[in-house]
Amino acid sequence: MLNVSRLKRTFNHDTAGFQDINLSVKEGEIIGVLGTSGCGKSTLLRVLSGLDQQYEGTISIENGSNNQIGMMFQEPRLLPWLSVKKNISFGLEKEERNTEKYKTYLDLVGLTGFENHYPKDLSGGMAQRTAIARALITEPEILLLDEPFSALDAFTKMQLQDLLLSIWQKKKTTMILITHDIDEALYLCDRIFVLKGQPGEVYSEVSIEKQRPRTRGDGYLSKQKAHILHLLNVEKKAAGEHQ
Amino acid sequence: MISETHKWKVAQRASPQKLSTSKGIFQLGRGILIGSILPIILLIAWEIAARTGLLAAHLLPAPTIILEKIISMYQDGSLFGHISVTLTRVFLGFAIGTGAAVVIGAIVGYAKTAERLLDPLFQAIRSIPSLAWVPLFILWMGIGEPSKISLIAVGVFFPVYLNIVAGIQGVDRKLIEVGRIYHLTPYQLTKRIILPAALPSFITGMRSGLGLGWMFVVAAELMGASEGLGYLLVVGQNTYSPDTVIASILLFAVLGKITDAVLKWVEHRSLKWQDSMTNQG
Repeated sequence: MLNVSRLKRTFNHDTAGFQDINLSVKEGEIIGVLGTSGCGKSTLLRVLSGLDQQYEGTISIENGSNNQIGMMFQEPRLLPWLSVKKNISFGLEKEERNTEKYKTYLDLVGLTGFENHYPKDLSGGMAQRTAIARALITEPEILLLDEPFSALDAFTKMQLQDLLLSIWQKKKTTMILITHDIDEALYLCDRIFVLKGQPGEVYSEVSIEKQRPRTRGDGYLSKQKAHILHLLNVEKKAAGEHQ
Repeated sequence: MISETHKWKVAQRASPQKLSTSKGIFQLGRGILIGSILPIILLIAWEIAARTGLLAAHLLPAPTIILEKIISMYQDGSLFGHISVTLTRVFLGFAIGTGAAVVIGAIVGYAKTAERLLDPLFQAIRSIPSLAWVPLFILWMGIGEPSKISLIAVGVFFPVYLNIVAGIQGVDRKLIEVGRIYHLTPYQLTKRIILPAALPSFITGMRSGLGLGWMFVVAAELMGASEGLGYLLVVGQNTYSPDTVIASILLFAVLGKITDAVLKWVEHRSLKWQDSMTNQG
């Protein structure tokens, strides 16, 4: 589906960004990218989405068409002058934009009845739901999520994680999720890449062999969490020794 | 996976909007009431002072006399003529000034090279007090309509231009990235993201431009006109009739307020989406 090899994008004379990233993503997989701040995980997503073109290495996507990549940001990034329904339809071609297509996605994210509201009247969670619908309506092959729930409160965050999973059950969209929340990655992802270093490199890959839906705080997930924490702690120690 | 109760909760959260609309009208009415207390008291005091001779009637005639003057102008038909001539000048000058500002401002705001090329020139021209153009425009175009309308257009141009450039340059990079995710062409990006995002400051520019337009129509009509409200000012001055002068000032105030109210209404209509103090509730 998606193959990335020897991908590199660095800033400030190779002190920030990432390098030597190799990964291949299968169709329908949910991939997590975990890492402490400054390890280049957001940059990785910007490169994959095409927002940042200054990279080295190769990115290849099978059955490539133009609108194959959807993106969700940390903030909803809704256009404040458009109503919810027009925001959802934003990425569609002109002919489709004024159709009822948005309705399916409005229902999907549970915002039925809010199509004519403006973003200013939405709560943070509702705005992020609208953003999910906008990212999905173009039916992207791959959905890139850049810490999409990190600005939300704990409860809304859990609701939206469940919403994302329910959408995945229906559409089997391939997703790449950038996060710094280990629990979130464990709850959602098939495989988790742990990035470390500056510039960041893939330090470890953790597979979560557990059927979804998973139970939060499940014994197996806790063990994996301890494992990942250990990985990140090692990184800390290594950095300490290095200095 | 969203439960029914959650849907219900979101629905409830959004509903109190309707309540506040009627409350808003009530508050608006009360605002007008409170705001008009002082002017009414002053008017009454003025009337009494003028009638009792406390104020010299040949310098400051009573409000009723000024009102009579306006009514008499209305009856002999000259009022409409003066108003329409002045309004036409303001409107044409405003349209030309705004049109030029939109085109040039959009180019300067959007293209870095154009900004480096054009902006220093416009900033330099802007520092010329606009009234200094008067003699030059009269030399170039005579005292007819073209020189008057040009002067108004110059006055309107700068606030609109500055606000458009600032508006376009201030568009949130994060929203532009949304457009880039969807592979918008530069034209689509301008039309669908940059212009709507710059609209609030464009309207702000239009409102201050209109204010200057009214200022310059007075200047233009003072410098030589045979019709218009500014011409009435000159006539009033030359014939020692302060009632004509004050009537003309009053009409300027009313017309200025009305045209600004129109723009304010447009602003309110087109910026309903804005999350601002006035849109609260």
